Amino acid sequence: MNTRNELLCIWSAILFVVVFTLGLWPLAHFLPPHLPTAGAEEIAALYQGRTWQIRLGLFLMMGCSGLVCAFVAAITVAIKRMEKGAGILTYTQLSAGTCGAVFLIVPCLVWTAAAFRPDRSPELTLLLNDVGWIMLFMPFTTFVVQNIAIGLAVLGDSNTPTILPRWVGFFNLWVAVLFIPGGLLTFFKTGPFAWSGVFVYWVPLVVFLSWYLVMFVVLRQAAIKAGRAA
Amino acid sequence: MTHATNEPARHLPGEAGVWVFILGDLLMFAALFITFAYYRSNDVASFIESQHALNQRCGALNTIFMLTSSWCVAIAVQVARVGKTRAARRWLVGGMACAVCFVVVKIFEYQEKIAAGITLTSNDFFMYYYMLTGLHLMHVLLGLGVLIFLWRSLYAPVSHTSVRTLESGACFWHMVDLLWIVLFALLYMLR
Repeated sequence: MNTRNELLCIWSAILFVVVFTLGLWPLAHFLPPHLPTAGAEEIAALYQGRTWQIRLGLFLMMGCSGLVCAFVAAITVAIKRMEKGAGILTYTQLSAGTCGAVFLIVPCLVWTAAAFRPDRSPELTLLLNDVGWIMLFMPFTTFVVQNIAIGLAVLGDSNTPTILPRWVGFFNLWVAVLFIPGGLLTFFKTGPFAWSGVFVYWVPLVVFLSWYLVMFVVLRQAAIKAGRAA
Repeated sequence: MTHATNEPARHLPGEAGVWVFILGDLLMFAALFITFAYYRSNDVASFIESQHALNQRCGALNTIFMLTSSWCVAIAVQVARVGKTRAARRWLVGGMACAVCFVVVKIFEYQEKIAAGITLTSNDFFMYYYMLTGLHLMHVLLGLGVLIFLWRSLYAPVSHTSVRTLESGACFWHMVDLLWIVLFALLYMLR
């Protein structure tokens, strides 16, 4: 019975990735990214032209981000099985992962404010648009802490066989490194480290979404195995 | 690091999982190098001119430190395999000392650049200069942590597992070394 709920939380990762991508890409057209160099009129025109699509896309992106909490819980349970003692990494992962979900939801709300009154002064729309992009792509810190916690827990697992394969630990450490350049968007409006650049938008976005898929596969196997053993 | 059943004849140093990190990291740096080449090809003249502002001596000195450090760590692995843990620890200390020298030189170099008014946003070349060397420096600090961890782990008697761990850490350190060699060539030498 417990395994069923655990699998439910694990499957929420898939639902999140699908719905988030749907909102981001075909609906809101936030993929490819807006350019940091775009002027106020240009950005305002985007919100005026696709008002309801952007609203709906952001509604979906915000709406599915709560599922991240369920998935973080599934990771927490897996790490708890790995850790002996007080379980400090279990709590680190739980709190960092939960904070991460906030930084998916809040940017959608800020963009929603921009789409709420598309006819307001373009300068204000530009400001809200900037805030949304910065909020979604700059805060690498919670994601990095979360990934390192998972990495250390997997590599420190003394069960035989380990709860998750050891490469998953190294994979998480690698993902942590990949998220860090995102923080540099503050310095640039053009080039690969601007929010529209390869190392801030494209690489982290693809890695972020595929991280869910990888973790889904390994956690699902681990949960089924744990369910059989119980 | 569970059971390494039927060891292949040509064995992969370190545990298999660490190569996920190493190859993934190399992939990221490869992407950085490719975009560097792209931006450079758009503005070769400015890239070459900016390159003259770099301190070649610091770069060369750091290359020596990096290579020496890597060499020390390689020897540490070799002597640990035959059970000489005390000697292995000493070689690791040598490796760490070189890594610290590298960091000190790098800080001096950055400080020299900043004093000259050259920052991350000066131009595309310096954006790459700071980004590439900064990301690499982060790896050096991470690697220094790994070396300290290995040094501590060698207080226990050597086992198959601890040699495996030592090899994994050493592989990571050699990658950091390799990346510096490419960085040095790209940023300081490429004409």
